[in-house]
Amino acid sequence: MSGPVATLRKNGDVLTGSLLLGALVLFIAMPLVGVLIWAFAEQWRSPALLPTAWGLKFWHLLLGRADVQSSFPLSLILASIVTALAAVLCLPAAYAFARTDFPGRRAMLLSAITVHAFPRFPLYVSIAVIFLSLGLIGTATAVVIVQLVFSMLYLIWIPTAAFRGVDRRLEEAARDVGASHLTVLLRITLPQVAPALGAALLLTFVNAFYEVEGALLVGIPDIRTLPIVMLSLITGQVIVQYGAVLSVMLWVPSVMLLIFARRMFDSRTFAAGLSV
Amino acid sequence: MTIARFDRPATPDASGIRGFRRGFQFLRQPSWRGLLLVTPALLTMAVFVIVPAVVSVGGTFFAADGALSLANYRDFFGNPQSVGNLTFTVEVTLTTLIWLLVVGLAIALYLRFSRSRLVAAIQVLALFPLFVPGIIASFALIRFLGPTGWLPTALKAVGIDAYQTPYLHAGGAIIGLIWQELPMTVLLLTAGLAQVNNRAIEAARDVGAGFATTLIHIVLPQVFRSIVVAACLGALDIFGSFTVPYILGPAAPQMMAIYMQRTFNELHRPGAAETQAAVTFMVCIVIGALYTAFVFRDSANNTEPAK
Amino acid sequence: MATLSLQSVTRKFGAVAAVHDLTLDVADGEFVCLLGPSGCGKSTALRLVGGFEEPDGGDILIDGASTVSVPPNRRATGMVFQSHALWSHMTVFGNIAFGLKLRKLPAHTIRRKVADVLTLLSLEGLERRYPRQLSGGQQQRVALARSLVLEPKILLLDEPFSALDAHLRVRLREELKAIQRRLRQTTVFVTHDQEEALTLADRIAVMNQGAIEQIGTPGAVYERPETLFVAGFIGTMNVMPASIDGEGLNAGPFHLALGERRPDLPAAGRLDLGARPEDIEIVAPDEADAPGLVEQVIDLGPVRQVLVACDGGRRLKAQVGRQAPVTLGQGVGLRLQRGLIYSDGARPVEIEPHEMASVLPFRRFAGRRRVDEARH
Repeated sequence: MSGPVATLRKNGDVLTGSLLLGALVLFIAMPLVGVLIWAFAEQWRSPALLPTAWGLKFWHLLLGRADVQSSFPLSLILASIVTALAAVLCLPAAYAFARTDFPGRRAMLLSAITVHAFPRFPLYVSIAVIFLSLGLIGTATAVVIVQLVFSMLYLIWIPTAAFRGVDRRLEEAARDVGASHLTVLLRITLPQVAPALGAALLLTFVNAFYEVEGALLVGIPDIRTLPIVMLSLITGQVIVQYGAVLSVMLWVPSVMLLIFARRMFDSRTFAAGLSV
Repeated sequence: MTIARFDRPATPDASGIRGFRRGFQFLRQPSWRGLLLVTPALLTMAVFVIVPAVVSVGGTFFAADGALSLANYRDFFGNPQSVGNLTFTVEVTLTTLIWLLVVGLAIALYLRFSRSRLVAAIQVLALFPLFVPGIIASFALIRFLGPTGWLPTALKAVGIDAYQTPYLHAGGAIIGLIWQELPMTVLLLTAGLAQVNNRAIEAARDVGAGFATTLIHIVLPQVFRSIVVAACLGALDIFGSFTVPYILGPAAPQMMAIYMQRTFNELHRPGAAETQAAVTFMVCIVIGALYTAFVFRDSANNTEPAK
Repeated sequence: MATLSLQSVTRKFGAVAAVHDLTLDVADGEFVCLLGPSGCGKSTALRLVGGFEEPDGGDILIDGASTVSVPPNRRATGMVFQSHALWSHMTVFGNIAFGLKLRKLPAHTIRRKVADVLTLLSLEGLERRYPRQLSGGQQQRVALARSLVLEPKILLLDEPFSALDAHLRVRLREELKAIQRRLRQTTVFVTHDQEEALTLADRIAVMNQGAIEQIGTPGAVYERPETLFVAGFIGTMNVMPASIDGEGLNAGPFHLALGERRPDLPAAGRLDLGARPEDIEIVAPDEADAPGLVEQVIDLGPVRQVLVACDGGRRLKAQVGRQAPVTLGQGVGLRLQRGLIYSDGARPVEIEPHEMASVLPFRRFAGRRRVDEARH
C-alpha cells in the first residue's frame, strides 16, 4: 500500500485491530492465564498482582483427596464405556448412511440432527424423570445412557463423511482380485477412514469425560464424575488452587486432543457428512 | 470412469455396459441391510431421547388423577418464583444476545475487511473458547472477575476501588455466556460476511458512500440473514444453558435449567421439573419456528428466476 | 466533460510492477480503450484512475487536478464492473438512486433523474425489480445507469460485457457507443477483446506487461502495429523471420527484389516480416512471388481465409473474397502486396514490393477495416 489515503486507512486498521485484540486478550486470554498461574501458586493473596509463593503443593493435596481419587478413574471408565457403546451403535449406522439407500434414510438423518437442535437440559430433565420412575437415578447406567445419546450425532456425522470420502475404486480393485466383502472392509475401507474415525472417537471420549450437566442430573448422589467433583470444589470450596489444578489437569490434554482431531479432518469432510 | 454413487437414487452410469451393470448391481442390493445397520443407533436415540421427551411433555398435560388438564401449567404460571425465573431467563438471553451480536459483528467485520497482520491473532482468540469446557471457563472467570479476582486486584493497584463484581449476579451469567457463545457467533457472522461481494462495496464507494454509509446501507443488509441465524441459534443455546449460569449466576432468580435441576435434585419434585422443561421446550420451539419461518421466506425471496 | 491524464504512473504489488511508468492522456469526450491480455495491467490502471488503488509513483490528473489524496468516494469517476456489482437487497430504483440520495438531492429530482437514465438505457418499467429478477444484459445496463446518473467526469468500464453472450455483447456495445457520443462522456474502457476495442474506441492503448506498447486510432493500430506484440494481438498477422541481402528481401517463402526501394534498416539484429492475410494475394502460380498448396479454407462470412502451405514447411494465411474459386489441395501462388519489417528497437518499416512509387499510398483491400481518416 502507498499514498496518503492508503496510509490513513492502514493506520486506522491497525488501531482498531489493536483495540479489538486488547479487549479479547483481556476478556479471553487473561482469565485462562490466571487459572494457569493459580495452579502453580502456593500463596497468592490480594493485593499482590502475582503469587508470592510458587509450588506444586496443591497438586499433591488435590491428588490425595479421596473424592478426586475415586472420581478420576470413574470418569475414565464411564467415558470409555460411552465411547465404546457409541462406536458399536454409530459406526455401522454411519457406514449405512454413507453407502446405501433405504426407505426413510433422509428422514432418519434429519431427525438425528433435529434431536440436537433442541435445548439439551430440558431433554436431560425429561430423561431423568423417566429414569426416576425406573429407579435408575444415581446409577452408572443412567449416566452412561445420558452421555451416550448425546454423543451419537458426532459419531454418525463425521464417520459418514469419512465413509463417503473413501475411494471406491480401491475397493473395486480389491474385489476384482477376489477379496471378500469383509476383507475389503478391513483391509481397504477402514484404513482410509481410520484418521477421521480416530478423531471422532477421541472427540466423543473427550466430550463424555467433560460432560457435567447430564451426569449431575442423573448421577448424584452416588455417581460423582470428576467434573461433578470439580463443580463442587469451585462453588463450595475456599481453596482456589484446587479448582485451578483440576482445570489445568483436565484442560491441557483436551486441547492437545482437539487440535489433533481438527487436523485430522477439514471443512470439506464436514460438509460432505452434512449433505443429506 | 464414473463410479456409481450408492448414496443417491440409482442413476445408471452412462459410460457403457459396465456402468449399466454397476447401476443394476446397486438396484439389486437389498436396502434392508442398510436399515439393519442403522436401526440400533436410531432405536437408542428414539427410546432414550424422543420417547422420554414426548412422554414427559405429554405428561404435563395430565393432572395427578389422569385427567387432561392444565393444572401443571396453572401452577407454574401462578407461582411468582417460576414466572420470575422464566422472565429472568428471557432477560439474560436477550441481553447476552445483544452483546454477542454487537461484539461478534465487530470482530467479524474486522476479520473480513482488515488487511493487517492482527487478523490471525484476533481469529485465534475469538475462537478459542471452543476449546475450553464450560466449567473451566466459568472457574477462570470467577478468578478473574470475582471479588478477590485478578481484575479488581489490578484495578486497585492503579487506584480504582469502585469495582463491583458481577459474580453471583446476572452480569456474571451474561459475561460467562458471552464467553461461551462468542466463537459460534463469530463463525456464523464471518460466513455470512464472506458472501458480501467486494465489488459491491467498491461500487458503493464509487458512488460516493463513506465508510459508515457503506457499512450500514450495503454490508449490514446483506449479512442480515446471518445475523438472524446467529441470533436464533445463540438464543437456543443460551436459553437452555446450565453450567455457566450455575457457577457464575445468582442463586435467585435462576435460569430455567438451574431451576429444573434444583427442583429435581434438591426438591425432589419431578412433576414440577417436567413442567419447567416443557415450558422451556415451548419457548425454544417458538424461537425455532421464527428461525424456520425466516429462513424459508428468505430462501424464497432469493431464488433466482429461470433465465 | 473532463480530461484525464496519467503521468508516469507505477503500481507495484510486491516486487512485480503491475503498471510501470504509464503515461496516457484522454481528451474531453474521448473514448479510449485499454486493450491487452490478462495480466497486462489494464484493470490495475483502471482501478488506479477510479481510486481503488493508489499509485506508487506518478500522478493521475482529472481536469488538471491531482487525485493522489482523493479516495474513490470523493472522485468524480464512475466505475462499471465486470460483474455488475449491483446491491442485491435494493431494487433497480434503489441501486440507481443511492448515489443521488448520498448527494442529498430532493426526492423529485432523484425520481426525474432516475427516470431519465432508465429511458436512456431502455430499462423503463423495471424500477421495482430486484437484481436477481433481471437478465444479464439488464443487470449490466442498470450498473451503467447507476454510474451515468451521477454524471461522472470520467466513466470507467472494466470488461463490462465479457460475461454476456455474443449477440448481447454486440448490441450493448453499440448502445454504449451511442450513449457515449450523445453525452460526450470521457470514457476509459478495459477489454481483452480486440474486436470490442476496434469497434468502440476513438483511440486504443495496447498494453503488455504493465506498459503501453502503442496508442492510436483503431485504424492506425490495425494498419501499422508498432511492435510484434501489437501486430499479433490485433487482427491476424503472418509473422516470419526476414533478412535483407544484396538481392533483396528474404522472408519466409518470399524472395523479393527491392531495387532502389531498399528500406533503411539496421545492419545487424533480428528482422521479422509481418503481413496481414488481406495483404497476401492469391494469384496464378506464374504471377506469384512464391508457390504454395491450399491446406485449409475457412469461411469467415464476408471473406474467406486460406491456409497455404509453402516452401520450408511454413504456413501462411491469405484472404480471398467470398466467391473466389479456391479449393483444397489446389496449387496456388502467393503475392505479397504489403508487409511491415520489424527490427529491435526501431519503428517498423512498411514495404510494398509491387508498388511502383516509393511513397506508399493508402490502399484498400477487401475485408480491411474502414478507417476514419479525419481522426488520424
